[in-house]
Amino acid sequence: MKSFEVRNLWKEYGDQVVLERVHLALAGNEFVTIVGASGCGKTTFLKMLMGDEVPTRGELLLDGEPLPTEPGPDRGVVFQRYSVFPHLTALENVMLGLELRQAPLAGRLFGAARTAVREQAAQGLAAVGLQAALDKYPAQLSGGMQQRLAIAQAVIMRPRILLLDEPFGALDPGIRSDMHGLILDLWRQGDMGVFMITHDLHEGFELGTRLLVFDKVRDDPQAPEAYGATITFDIPLQRRPPPDVMEAVRRATAPAGAPS
Amino acid sequence: MRRLINRKPGRAAALGLGLLPFVLVVIAYLFGSHTRLQDNPADKLLPPPAVMVDAIERLALEPSKRSGQRLLWADTAASLQRLGLGVGLSAVLGLVFGVAIGVVPHIRATLGHFLVVLSMIPPLAVLPILFIVFGLGELSKVVLIVIGVAPFIMRDLAARVAELPRELMIKGQTLGASTWQIITRVVLPQLWPRLIHSVRLMLGPAWLFLIAAEAIAATDGLGYRIFLVRRYLAMDVILPYVAWITLLAFLFDWLLQKWARRAFPWAEPAP
Amino acid sequence: MLRQANRILTAAVLCAALSLLGVTQAQAADKQQFRIAWSIYVGWMPWGYAKDSGIVDKWADKYDIGIDVVQINDYIESINQYTAGAFDGCTMTNMDALTIPAAGGVDSTALIVGDFSDGNDAILLKDREKLTQIKGLPVNLVELSVSHYLLARGLASVGLSERDIQVVNTSDADIVGAYQSPDVQAVVTWNPQKNEILKQPDTYNVFDSADIPGEIIDLLVVNTETLKANPALGKALTGAWYETMAIMAEDSERGRAARAAMARAAGTDAVGYQAQLETTRMFYEPAAAAAFARAPKLGETMDYVRGFSFEHGLLGEGAPSPDVIGIALADGRVLGDAGNLKLRFDAAYMQMAADGEL
Repeated sequence: MKSFEVRNLWKEYGDQVVLERVHLALAGNEFVTIVGASGCGKTTFLKMLMGDEVPTRGELLLDGEPLPTEPGPDRGVVFQRYSVFPHLTALENVMLGLELRQAPLAGRLFGAARTAVREQAAQGLAAVGLQAALDKYPAQLSGGMQQRLAIAQAVIMRPRILLLDEPFGALDPGIRSDMHGLILDLWRQGDMGVFMITHDLHEGFELGTRLLVFDKVRDDPQAPEAYGATITFDIPLQRRPPPDVMEAVRRATAPAGAPS
Repeated sequence: MRRLINRKPGRAAALGLGLLPFVLVVIAYLFGSHTRLQDNPADKLLPPPAVMVDAIERLALEPSKRSGQRLLWADTAASLQRLGLGVGLSAVLGLVFGVAIGVVPHIRATLGHFLVVLSMIPPLAVLPILFIVFGLGELSKVVLIVIGVAPFIMRDLAARVAELPRELMIKGQTLGASTWQIITRVVLPQLWPRLIHSVRLMLGPAWLFLIAAEAIAATDGLGYRIFLVRRYLAMDVILPYVAWITLLAFLFDWLLQKWARRAFPWAEPAP
Repeated sequence: MLRQANRILTAAVLCAALSLLGVTQAQAADKQQFRIAWSIYVGWMPWGYAKDSGIVDKWADKYDIGIDVVQINDYIESINQYTAGAFDGCTMTNMDALTIPAAGGVDSTALIVGDFSDGNDAILLKDREKLTQIKGLPVNLVELSVSHYLLARGLASVGLSERDIQVVNTSDADIVGAYQSPDVQAVVTWNPQKNEILKQPDTYNVFDSADIPGEIIDLLVVNTETLKANPALGKALTGAWYETMAIMAEDSERGRAARAAMARAAGTDAVGYQAQLETTRMFYEPAAAAAFARAPKLGETMDYVRGFSFEHGLLGEGAPSPDVIGIALADGRVLGDAGNLKLRFDAAYMQMAADGEL
């Protein structure tokens, strides 16, 4: 990814405005972490990036071109759950994308072509530490291993953007820090931008090169749906931000009325 | 004293309890049969086991005087062929339409409601129409099973497709899958175990329609034989036939279950 | 624990046994309540009228018994119920009386000869005018019924046999619908289906029961033991029947009303019912019925019927010959095993009605 731009993006469902006046410009591959209170539109934003939702107004430009309005192989995705196919083994899950690309009709490869793809997928799985689980079905893997599998499956397609929707939200804290190392390594190696939604503020600061906070700037108590959220903080990060910045962000992302 | 809900039978006791209803039915039958035979030695309603064994031997082992066939096997082959064709065709139609309706919104909008209405038509009520359109031969019997069974499999599978997590559909697209590839590599493989489950559930109705079709017009088949010999109250033939149908139905259910377990290990929770 | 299980077992067996005994109880000899089953057919419609108009009750009261006349929607089921012991009497044809209750060991007496089919049963062909053209065709009919018998007699009359055709068992309820199918080229059936099918174009009646007069006979059959122990039952039923016959035969307002009621109950109108009656030889006079029962021709007919039944395995697969079941004719002769009399034709009660002794 060389550049990514969001121009005056709006998303409305009928009378309800979810997002308004979203602007963003990135140059080069950044690791963008997205935080915000529940219902602030960050998931809607990610869905528009992946092509599952269409903006009401505004533009999304990847390397100067409008994003396709349906999902495609240029954007990889990892969800919190249901990211891998339960009927395929770990190896088959990773091979799938490569097979689909080379065999439009059959959807699967045979002979030498299959061996080559198999080799490539096995390497991809080794890169996420799943070399011992090639022939296991997802149901036989732990939650952390399933997410590693989902990441390997997405990354092997060499997407220009990787979209992560709270990928580690359901994992134990110890496993989570392993995953942080893994995803940073993959990001540094691959030529791709990353957008990651997280509920964990520390995670957002630790992983990101840039942190976006979604929040409502206007609020009408008589008509809570009249105004949408937008990016209220856009923070370029070194590894450790100053304490006052962290505090301001914490206030902004806390649920309304909660003590901060 | 522990609560009733917490008291569980041991292995041997569970086996004994499981057998108990069967034993009771057999005893009640023997008792009733004995009582009636004392009144009337030629009673046909509850024949003694020896008479039924004779009937089974005659039907299974001896060629029939009229056709030279061993009737039990000829009937079984005829019925199973109809059942197999009917259920097989229903499964194929169920899969094709279920997937199409579940995956493609335009097809869902076109056929969704029609299918619901279609599945509500009682097939036996449209028999005269079936006769005129499909004749009175094998075709109309198979069609009766298909009309009775296929719409439910279609609906079940369409609902199942709709239940597939949206995430998997998006994931498939981010792996570059076309609609065709989504169907063949994401949706269909995940539907196989559900199809088997659906077929298992519909086997009961399929037998019902088969026997109804054979009762109405046929020259052979398990249902044909039962309704024919009912004409002279030959319970010594009817009861073994009923037991045989029950056994076959049980066997198919069991085999399908085994097959599903073996062929789709991923559908089972991790051991 | 074991004893408890034993008790439960005993109770369960007793429950099951009692419910079965309840069925056999109906055959016991000393009770005063009787149950008679009948089903819809042109010659049996008078039973419905006799019940609804109070004629049955009147005669039952006269002999100090109770008679419940019950309509069963399925003909075969009514005979099976009678054979199982749930009824003391039932309407059926001579052939079914032989092959179901008699072959099932239930000693049965033909108390009333109501009519014989005189064209009500017929072989019908599509686009073919002669019976010989039936050769090679599938023939739809209720297998092992009087239709089957009629077909066998018809084929024999033109030198064919069942080997020359293929019998397709077809439910009588669906045979009119089945005839619409191009697959169906030949059917054998009875009224009202016969008249319904004959309305179709290019359909020909090539052989019917008028060609074998007096062979398909519609009877009221009662359990012999019950009848012997309760002659009152025979008298009341016969009395009620011939009173109804007299009304039905009248060319009066009352007679027309009775026939109209029977037509309605049969699901047709006066014209349709009259059309069916024309092919039914009703015995309105008890003397004629008694004479028919005593005539030597009945023995000849029953000999055909038992031969057909034997050949088709209807007397039991193990039966060595047609003689296995004894048939007592009203003229005193016996067909088959006199030591195993299971079907009896008895003209005594019809004669009493003819003599005005009821």
